[in-house]
Amino acid sequence: MKRNHLAVIVAGLMSAATIGAGAASADDYTTLLIDPNFVFDTVQYSGGAPTPAPGGQPGAARVFTHNDGRFITDTVWVLPDAAAATAAAAAAQSTAGIANPKTEPVQVGTGGTFISGTSADGSQSLGLLTFTQGNAASAISFTGPANDPPDATLATDLGQAQAALITSRMGG
Amino acid sequence: MRRIAMAIATAGVIAGSLTGVPTASAASTNNITPPPAPVAPFPTPIITALDCYGTTGPAGCGPGWVWRNGWRGPACYVC
Repeated sequence: MKRNHLAVIVAGLMSAATIGAGAASADDYTTLLIDPNFVFDTVQYSGGAPTPAPGGQPGAARVFTHNDGRFITDTVWVLPDAAAATAAAAAAQSTAGIANPKTEPVQVGTGGTFISGTSADGSQSLGLLTFTQGNAASAISFTGPANDPPDATLATDLGQAQAALITSRMGG
Repeated sequence: MRRIAMAIATAGVIAGSLTGVPTASAASTNNITPPPAPVAPFPTPIITALDCYGTTGPAGCGPGWVWRNGWRGPACYVC
């Protein structure tokens, strides 16, 4: 049911982003970031201040903290070409620091990959979704309680909304 | 007199034929296929409770699901 609302969600985000587009600079990529509250139809997440140019690359990142402490970090890079985007997604995977990783492909963008596992000490569950969409790369990380790990379906739902938003804002 | 003798003879023949009836019935009983041994109607079902609450949960989640706050916010999640 919620998936059926994806188009409506993205359209709503587009409208909200367009309202403020006049004040945003050409390098303001914060409008590319997906809000999990919209995707999951909840108000449990509080978004922090967006971080421009994460890792020194053009793009934006934002942390969304659940009221129980778990959080989702959404990062989008806008790079010169698709090859650079693929390299950025690979770099995000290699630096994720996920112990006991389980990697699986997901139907998100190009090269959608979801890695799940735990923190090094096993006290937290971790997940990382990476994909590219044209010359954009996205990494969505999940950090939560050890007994409630994020799964591929969750990541796919959020990732597909993120990919749709990128496509809507930047074109196919 | 002759008629009386005939009646007695006829009665004797009839009585003689009836004498063997029970024996014949007992012999034929041995040829009937015995009824099948009784079989248990169904094996005892193994029932596994799917719902954490044992019901459909306080929020009407289906069996095997439970209402809690998780990654998707408050929703029905698999037990």
